[in-house]
Amino acid sequence: MKKAIALALAGVMSVGLLAGCGSSGSSSSGAASESATGETSATTASDSGSGSGDLSISWWGGDSRHTAYQNALAAFTEETGIQVSTHYGAWSGWEDQTSAALYSDNAEDVMQVNWNWLSQYSGDGSKFVDLNEYSDIIDLSQFPQSTLDACTVAGKLQALPVSMTGRIFYWNMNTFKQAGIEEVPSTLDDLYAAGEAFKTNLGDDYYPLALGEYDRMLLMTFYLESTYGKPWVEDNTLQYTVEEIATGIDFIQSLEDNHVIPSLQTMNAAGIDGNNSIDKSEQWINGMYAGIFEWDSSATKYQGSLADPSGFTVGNEIKFGDKANGGFSKVSMGLAITETCQDKEAAAKLINFLLNGDGASIMGSECGIPNSASGLAAAEAAGAVDELVLEANTKVMAFVDFQLDPTYESNDLKANPGGVYTDVFGGYSYGEYADSTEAATDLYDGVTEALEDAAKG
Amino acid sequence: MTPMKLETRHKIARFFQYFVLIVVGFVMIYPLLWMIGATFKSNAEIFTSIGFIPTNPTLDGYIAAVTQNYGGDINIWRAFLNTYSYVIPKVIFTVISSVIAAYGFSRFKFKGRDVLFSIMISTLFLPQVVLNVPQYLMYNTFGWINSPLYLPLWVPTLFATETYFVYQLVQFMRSIPHDLDEAASIDGCGPVKILYKIICPMLSPSLVACGLFQFMWSCNDFMGPLLYVTTPTKYPMSIFVKLSMDGDTGFNWNRILALSLISIIPQLIVFFAAQDAFIDGIAAGSVKG
Repeated sequence: MKKAIALALAGVMSVGLLAGCGSSGSSSSGAASESATGETSATTASDSGSGSGDLSISWWGGDSRHTAYQNALAAFTEETGIQVSTHYGAWSGWEDQTSAALYSDNAEDVMQVNWNWLSQYSGDGSKFVDLNEYSDIIDLSQFPQSTLDACTVAGKLQALPVSMTGRIFYWNMNTFKQAGIEEVPSTLDDLYAAGEAFKTNLGDDYYPLALGEYDRMLLMTFYLESTYGKPWVEDNTLQYTVEEIATGIDFIQSLEDNHVIPSLQTMNAAGIDGNNSIDKSEQWINGMYAGIFEWDSSATKYQGSLADPSGFTVGNEIKFGDKANGGFSKVSMGLAITETCQDKEAAAKLINFLLNGDGASIMGSECGIPNSASGLAAAEAAGAVDELVLEANTKVMAFVDFQLDPTYESNDLKANPGGVYTDVFGGYSYGEYADSTEAATDLYDGVTEALEDAAKG
Repeated sequence: MTPMKLETRHKIARFFQYFVLIVVGFVMIYPLLWMIGATFKSNAEIFTSIGFIPTNPTLDGYIAAVTQNYGGDINIWRAFLNTYSYVIPKVIFTVISSVIAAYGFSRFKFKGRDVLFSIMISTLFLPQVVLNVPQYLMYNTFGWINSPLYLPLWVPTLFATETYFVYQLVQFMRSIPHDLDEAASIDGCGPVKILYKIICPMLSPSLVACGLFQFMWSCNDFMGPLLYVTTPTKYPMSIFVKLSMDGDTGFNWNRILALSLISIIPQLIVFFAAQDAFIDGIAAGSVKG
């Protein structure tokens, strides 16, 4: 009897829920987030403020970025009376969610986008609005023409660059001082000397610099571009011959041979691989690896993970050759308006507010050093810019003289494990290649293939 | 040398049995212990020490875990509420719909049954990743994306979509003798009554297992809520835990671990509570059988 009652109760419950779903299904078929069904649950009713609005925006990031956006949006609402609903989360899985939303015309009105999304999801210009059409609302003159060009895909300015980023050296000067070196390394010879000093004064486990597979690829590109004075890829064609690439691989190997960087075998044994970045290793935390070659925007993470962060210093870019400075910067992220946005003018106002206007002073350097001149000025005036990141960013931007090729970071090349860069530099460091020419051939073929794939679309 | 007494030998054997069990058990449970210890550590200590007792214990992780509220959008308690508001219907409907589907497959002969059964089994091998995009598009046409009632997350379970459970229940039902059904039908039971009077009680351990698995999987599901819940106030626990895990800027692991630990407490309670029912069921069956 008890069981019969239980079953009947369950049945009634399910019918009730079904009925509820039926009515909400029909009423919310158009706009999914409207609060037509708000009375069914107290939690939604109490908070309709952030649930629905005139505009919507999405971004990914960590806690501090979430807070910065929320404060900036609150200020925007106060200034304009436009309500903005939000959607935010961490990076992992974010692109899956975003791509699904973009393909089904479900995406938020304003989106924080990765630079490669522009060509990847909107290569034909169908997903994002041409911001040139809103130049009366958004002050485009605050942005350098080169970065606007980088965001122009399919003839449309599909996003505005929030910030630019590039790679630079960071040093843990506490360890350098222990090794008897007072100055940050500024030349290749300084690096070799540091390797020698670390080995003799501190021991075999200490290295002035640690480079993973992808770091090696980036540093080699800096080296080659500086030595040969030509971009890595231009017009979707690799500009370097196998012989030239081999000299780059030899250069990386010379760092390993001179005790400047640990071999990848040593690093893997220390637990550093594709899943665990250098900042999570005991060797970095305790200062045994005293340098990295990282994005300027990652400075705080590496600084924060040090047991004793007092020696963390922004280094200088090193000019390896005499033909050019070498290296590149890239648009780290942008803000875009989706074609499905109902009120594009309000969205343009929001972007202008966040990048050029008062919003920039609240956002500070949360999304990197602002690319907009007025945005950077406002952020600096408000004291919301991380000095360390600003110093690194300024040095990178003043140094690099090449453009990044969009295919450079494609997953086929960059993935760890399995990408071409990983296989070539990992294989060479592990001694799986007979000579650098063989490794260079693999790299050449891999990059050429990726470029051909990209050209096919 | 006099031969050892039998009792002494037993004691020694018992000692070694327990010794091995305790050592292996400790190795198995150590990661969980380490996680508990790590909730009291700083980042630097988490990555540099394997011991689970923190040298400079801090409560910051727990304080941050329960106070972080993202500008009033979402906090840990609301995330709990959100999670269970779709997990509980999901579990109930999964069990009910799977039992009905399994009953059909195991007790009734109808045209195309074997073909349908093999089609159903074949979906067992279909990875969820393949389904994500078509499902997303389908729910989008229904207008269910970001539904305040989490419709895309639990409505499918009304239709016995969890093949694994249906398959498991079919196997269990096959082991229940048909004689019981026949005896019941002689006593005047219809097919529905046979299901809930005769079959369900005998299936109860397996039903508990289905419910348990579904409960854990649903609580841990990250991709589903990520795709279908886009309003921060409606985020469930699995999303909330990850909200601050940003690879670019770094974050305090002790907070994430504290949050994870708090978030699995209800699951642990449910698991231990259900474990009794689970074992009772098995024991009862064995005596009768």
